[in-house]
Amino acid sequence: MCPRNSHVPTFTMEKSTAASITAEKPHSISVQGFKITTEKRPILKAEPIEDMTKRLGITPPEMIFGDNFVSIKHEKSSWGINFNAFDALDRVDKTGASMLKVAYSKEWQRSSREKTHEGIKEVVKPFDWSYTTDYTGTVRADNRSFEPTTKTIPLELLKRPDPILFFDEVILYEDELADNGITMLSCKIRVMPARLLLLSRFFLRLDNVLFRLRDTRVYIDFESLEVIREFQSKELDYETVQQTLATTRDDVPAVMRDPNRLSEILPLREKRLERISLED
Amino acid sequence: MGDLDRAIAQLRACRLIPETQVRELCYKARELLIEEGNVVCVDAPVTICGDIHGQFHDLMELFRVGGDVPDTNYLFMGDFVDRGFYSLESFLLLLCLKVRYPDRITLIRGNHESRQITTVYGFYDECIRKYGSANVWRYCCEVFDYLALGALVLGTSSELEPTGLAMNDSTQSTMPIDDVELETEVLNSKGEVTYSSYRPRQSASSDTSAENRNISPSGDIPSQAPLRTGAPGTGASGEGGGSYSSRTGAVLCVHGGLSPLIDTVDKIRLIDRKQEVPHEGAMCDLLWSDPDEIDGWGLSPRGAGFLFGGDIVKQFNYRNDLSLIARAHQLVMEGYKEMFDGGIVTVWSAPNYCYRCGNVASILELGEDTSNGGTVTRSNGDYGRSNGVMTGDKPGVRSPGRRYRVFEAAAQDTRGMPAKKPVADYFLPSQQAI
Repeated sequence: MCPRNSHVPTFTMEKSTAASITAEKPHSISVQGFKITTEKRPILKAEPIEDMTKRLGITPPEMIFGDNFVSIKHEKSSWGINFNAFDALDRVDKTGASMLKVAYSKEWQRSSREKTHEGIKEVVKPFDWSYTTDYTGTVRADNRSFEPTTKTIPLELLKRPDPILFFDEVILYEDELADNGITMLSCKIRVMPARLLLLSRFFLRLDNVLFRLRDTRVYIDFESLEVIREFQSKELDYETVQQTLATTRDDVPAVMRDPNRLSEILPLREKRLERISLED
Repeated sequence: MGDLDRAIAQLRACRLIPETQVRELCYKARELLIEEGNVVCVDAPVTICGDIHGQFHDLMELFRVGGDVPDTNYLFMGDFVDRGFYSLESFLLLLCLKVRYPDRITLIRGNHESRQITTVYGFYDECIRKYGSANVWRYCCEVFDYLALGALVLGTSSELEPTGLAMNDSTQSTMPIDDVELETEVLNSKGEVTYSSYRPRQSASSDTSAENRNISPSGDIPSQAPLRTGAPGTGASGEGGGSYSSRTGAVLCVHGGLSPLIDTVDKIRLIDRKQEVPHEGAMCDLLWSDPDEIDGWGLSPRGAGFLFGGDIVKQFNYRNDLSLIARAHQLVMEGYKEMFDGGIVTVWSAPNYCYRCGNVASILELGEDTSNGGTVTRSNGDYGRSNGVMTGDKPGVRSPGRRYRVFEAAAQDTRGMPAKKPVADYFLPSQQAI
């Protein structure tokens, strides 16, 4: 589905024509007083990774798109929200208190210790290596802050096939968990003439252990200048997901890679709704 | 043109060969591989490659940059399959080349050359999709079980022959430099030198080595080379401090890294390798472990797998007369990463990994030592078999000259590739209630 060529007078669009990924400039659009910018760059090089490791205090994921971001700015109130890898990773548990174990860990540790003379027991720099984060975006401290609400994101308005003026999907980080599954944080945004919706999704599949989703949605109505942010946490053990899928006619491995499908299966654990008004 | 040559030509064009031919190829490959030891000995010159992961067009780019088989002698350190879209074409081509030119290409096993991993990460699905059954996957998995676990490169030269093509040739001098030798060189895919490092040449008599140690490169040397402490990811230092033994040691190539159960190369030779990659033990470690900035051995926070520090690498190299361990297994943005004073290097050969990381890839060329008229010093990784040259407290063998050829993802036929520009989709808020 491509944006229709509709007459929308209030936006300008800058798009890079460079073919190479490395040369892509930020994509940006201004609409109804909001400026939306996305940046997609290659994974970080050794030096910035070292720098990030120092600042974070944990080893960053294998694929770290540290230069990528999605940012929304309201020009008049100077309120803004930004999604980036560093801030998301800064919220990962760095103590090892909520550390998961790969499926064959027990078996591995038992036999490896029996056979190893030195008795290597020490876990190197424990932390939540699944990079689970409850990140809901970065808002500058001097900005207006969110307050709890019961108001939900208006599904009906977002179901309408309004033209999409701007769409982008940006990966912030990804890790293959040493071939024990996948963990990924990505962010996508669609901007329509009267509203926008952003989804920042953390997805974890730890093979034979569990599935996890942490979704942050930001909805902005350009006319009423209201921002609604919704955070949802979903989780289910691997076996139950497998059993659920076994009763369907789906291609099970494909579903297990697809957070959209999994989102329908995983039960909701936690949900938070917040709002901000950007009116004067 | 024989059947095999035809199959090679077809696979080079990224077209698959019939199932019956795959069966025959896998049978021949097994017959060949069963004769190889767990640790294959390879004579320099050799070009060492890391993970490929089914990125067929990038493998073609690798051959363009590094030279074709059989002109170039290749050593691939595993992970041929999974992740990319052309695992079959990539692996079958490499296998055909192995059967056609057995002593010009060496394939060792990566952790993805396993039944369990390939069912999860793409190769199994690809076989079903492209051949309609799991037969070809089964044939390939049987070959995986016969792949060697490591390789030992012998007879490398400590000094690189300069390639000549420099990026800014005004700084390049052709003057002979008597007291230094070219240790590391990094080339881009056009063959232009983007970085080089030098070290003091080993002297004929050992008593001059003290003078050499503090040598500072003069202005005659290409200006970008000296005084810097090494390219990103390089343990090389332009200030020398290299070792002063009379030869280079062997280079051990393995997919992952070391194992606490393996203190000598001979112990690798004792493993019964003809099996699925186990979940634990020495064979598992060689294919799975990672170097890390730690002391000694550590457990991965994931609860399985070992990490090893620089001291472990130094001990292992010293004990086994090795000058370098080359391994793959971990994505590195620059295509290669030297660690622990150049004692170990990660080589990564899948550019723009998974078609979205934007990283470059590299291959590592080790030259042949011709100073002894081509006679290979038998530094073959055996404990206690050193020839007594190394005495006193300045042990260690001289590391080989290392030429990294860095390359980018191939401009490729994008059919079947994920779109670079995402397709706008009407994603919706979740409709689920708490």
